[in-house]
Amino acid sequence: MELAEDWLVESLRLYQDFHAFDLSGATRVLEWIGEKGVFVAGYESSKKNEILHLILPLRLSVKENQGLFPERDFKVRHGGFSDRSVFDLKHVPDTRLLVTTGLPGCYLQVWQIGEDNDVIEAVSTIDVQDREKSLWPRVSVFSTAAPGILHGTRLSGLKTVDIESQKITYSSGTSDSESLSSLQVLDSDTFAFCGTSGRLGLVDTRQKWAPLEAFSPSPDSSGQRWCADVRNRGQGPGPCVASLGSDGQLCLLDPRNLCHPVSSAQCPVSKSSPDPELLRVSWAPGLDNCLAISGFDGTVQIYDVTSWDGKKSQVESLFTHKGHILLDGNEIDATPLVTTHTWHPCKPRTLLSAASDASLHVWDWVDLQASC
Amino acid sequence: MPEIRVTPLGAGQDVGRSCILVSISGKNVMLDCGMHMGYNDDRRFPDFSYITQSGRLTDFLDCVIISHFHLDHCGALPYFSEMVGYDGPIYMTHPTQAICPILLEDYRKIAVDKKGEANFFTSQMIKDCMKKVVAVHLHQTVQVDDELEIKAYYAGHVLGAAMFQIKVGSESVVYTGDYNMTPDRHLGAAWIDKCRPNLLITESTYATTIRDSKRCRERDFLKKVHETVERGGKVLIPVFALGRAQELCILLETFWERMNLKVPIYFSTGLTEKANHYYKLFITWTNQKIRKTFVQRNMFEFKHIKAFDRTFADNPGPMVVFATPGMLHAGQSLQIFRKWAGNEKNMVIMPGYCVQGTVGHKILSGQRKLEMEGRQVLEVKMQVEYMSFSAHADAKGIMQLVGQAEPESVLLVHGEAKKMEFLRQKIEQEFRVSCYMPANGETVTLPTSPSIPVGISLGLLKREMVQGLLPEAKKPRLLHGTLVMKDSSFRLVSSEQALKELGLAEHQLRFTCRVHLQDTRKEQETALRVYSHLKSTLKDHCVQHLPDGSVTVESILIQAAAHSEDPGTKVLLVSWTYQDEELGSFLTALLKNGLPQAPS
Repeated sequence: MELAEDWLVESLRLYQDFHAFDLSGATRVLEWIGEKGVFVAGYESSKKNEILHLILPLRLSVKENQGLFPERDFKVRHGGFSDRSVFDLKHVPDTRLLVTTGLPGCYLQVWQIGEDNDVIEAVSTIDVQDREKSLWPRVSVFSTAAPGILHGTRLSGLKTVDIESQKITYSSGTSDSESLSSLQVLDSDTFAFCGTSGRLGLVDTRQKWAPLEAFSPSPDSSGQRWCADVRNRGQGPGPCVASLGSDGQLCLLDPRNLCHPVSSAQCPVSKSSPDPELLRVSWAPGLDNCLAISGFDGTVQIYDVTSWDGKKSQVESLFTHKGHILLDGNEIDATPLVTTHTWHPCKPRTLLSAASDASLHVWDWVDLQASC
Repeated sequence: MPEIRVTPLGAGQDVGRSCILVSISGKNVMLDCGMHMGYNDDRRFPDFSYITQSGRLTDFLDCVIISHFHLDHCGALPYFSEMVGYDGPIYMTHPTQAICPILLEDYRKIAVDKKGEANFFTSQMIKDCMKKVVAVHLHQTVQVDDELEIKAYYAGHVLGAAMFQIKVGSESVVYTGDYNMTPDRHLGAAWIDKCRPNLLITESTYATTIRDSKRCRERDFLKKVHETVERGGKVLIPVFALGRAQELCILLETFWERMNLKVPIYFSTGLTEKANHYYKLFITWTNQKIRKTFVQRNMFEFKHIKAFDRTFADNPGPMVVFATPGMLHAGQSLQIFRKWAGNEKNMVIMPGYCVQGTVGHKILSGQRKLEMEGRQVLEVKMQVEYMSFSAHADAKGIMQLVGQAEPESVLLVHGEAKKMEFLRQKIEQEFRVSCYMPANGETVTLPTSPSIPVGISLGLLKREMVQGLLPEAKKPRLLHGTLVMKDSSFRLVSSEQALKELGLAEHQLRFTCRVHLQDTRKEQETALRVYSHLKSTLKDHCVQHLPDGSVTVESILIQAAAHSEDPGTKVLLVSWTYQDEELGSFLTALLKNGLPQAPS
């Protein structure tokens, strides 16, 4: 307990705000709905999992007079049960629909959020072309007037299905069998993909398959698994694609020239990610040139990449969140693994992070260097 | 019809005004008698007219149970017992009995003196009400009457809070009141054994929340205090002697030590004495750690926390002061507040709910200009922080408690059924129990199947065993006997024994049936034919031909007679007793089929 109390004292200096919760089951999902709600979902394989729609504590949502709001708890606004493990969940904007994916990976499940009750119900499924035992389809949403679900386990099986009519509105039509690590819709006609080998591409759905592409980042990084995140446009100059390898290598790329990374660096991680499926890199929506990485251990690391160029051998994180390890004073060998993290859409330095011990943290870190 | 009926009283779905009526095996119990703090009129009281439209409630209730001293659980008690009328027993734990009247009196003062209310209970009524209280210990079975018994379990939450088991015969209900499944710095966690009640009744207010960790709440408190004193400000924390004060003091003491801070922390003296007194009295109600340290030293002999003197309030520089009363409605805390309110470097931290009409309530509503006595206006520039430290069980906690008690059904009060459908499914799936969510004023009826133990006489048992097959544990076995009910005991005995005990003579019922046969021979010959036929057919039974011509099969008698009008027809008279009904019927059917042709 000593260690925990020490860290609590330290946290007074490190965080503006800090909330810690215990979910009934660990989640790999943290998907926003508006600014005040998030979805979490369980990923156990042997029992029923819960999908929860949580409303952020009032204290975090109000803009003024924060001190007069004592509520610090999450409210479970809606809940549902899934027989399958849920590895990813996407909310279809402007609808009451959700899409989940997991293992077994032969179909996507579509859910509806109850209107006058608090139940999330399964309503339909979307078949997936590639049915492979250990692969699960990645998902992203085209939030057009008729929303379409982009999904696939490999580039060859990439499709967009209209959620209402279940008709296929786009098919990659390629025989490229690269397995996918992430999919990200950028606007109504383009999406980005990241293969597990590190291949990155930007695809225009109006054209025949001819993605703007980058091949594996560098020859000596074979064997690593990769994931990526594309920053929103209009967030300032500089590279907007970040890719993260399971050994801790972080590459920044410009979409106009995906073949040559603008910069790459080795992040100080003590070991390779024990589960590369949990790797996550995300750009901060409210800060210039800041991104967060997780999936190596029980921490979330934040980097300021403003002046990064070329190959950097040594980089230091702007901030490292150690709450999942230190809050309860766990033994070293029992440290949890951070399963996912996400930035708050409006509060610039607030993040949510979840770990394998079912903990969920909401934290607003203090920029001790005050430059980001 | 054996059943348990539960009705949460009052209108609307709001929290507060906890008051639940339970009817179990003909006994009526009222659980808690709370006040709704948000209303100023009669809506703040539960709707007792549900119990009876006319007057006093003593005859309609077997007892009242109060779970803990919070006003939303006991605030309406004096109104209920003295103004509506109830003279029966009111059960609560010892700490609750000691602290309840203090809170009720405080509340009364605010209502009457501050708000000028007319129709409110008086100090004398509070005293008269408390005279009806019967205090109970934890895990002590208390007989309310010879059928109804209750037992209190530790609930955590606040000092003296208990969960209650109410039992009549084999039917029981557990009411949780407010409880907490995680221990804090001065109280332990709620605990109940695997008592398997028919029904578990619990609050649903926090059932759909996921609670922020205690450490983070503490961190927030420390941060606010620390930041204020760092910039030279003063922190005022108005507390109730037996609320969170102990918890917060222990917390500050721990961290002042760790952070090596020199800023003075004060505790107003009235607080110390009262707190010490009650904690000494109820030391068994605190957690292990407190009990251990208490043995070594006085509760409030902290290194960094000293007794306050009113003159200290004018000292320059930073300080932290814990002062009563908790809602800033009078006394020392209000005095200090008035001195410090004008400086924006200072902070007041309200650790709990404040009743309407108090300064505490006003500043928590955002008011920055307060009208004090003599039309003086006080401008509040100091920072106001509302922090909640009260410990309630959240969704996880409820699941834990249900898992511990293993009830057959769960009932959640104070929630909207539609907004808790997911929780209901969760409970029903995880524990395979039914989950009910009545609205206030709505009655839930649970059918129960009470088990009635019946003693079986040894003689009867032995007789059954003799009949052959041994009893099998999983197969029901039909037994014939006589049920004798005397006082509250039930016995199953043989008919003979019952008749003997009751001094009654046994009546014999005999049936006679006529079977017509075509036979021109004489009666004696017909009888002989019957005898031969039955002898060869009924190899397992004792068939005899008596000298008078009649045939017997076991104890059944068959006689042949000539038909009065038709000599060609013979009439067989078959007669048997009620006990031989089966065989008698069988024989009759057999004979009706006719006799085999006699060899000539």
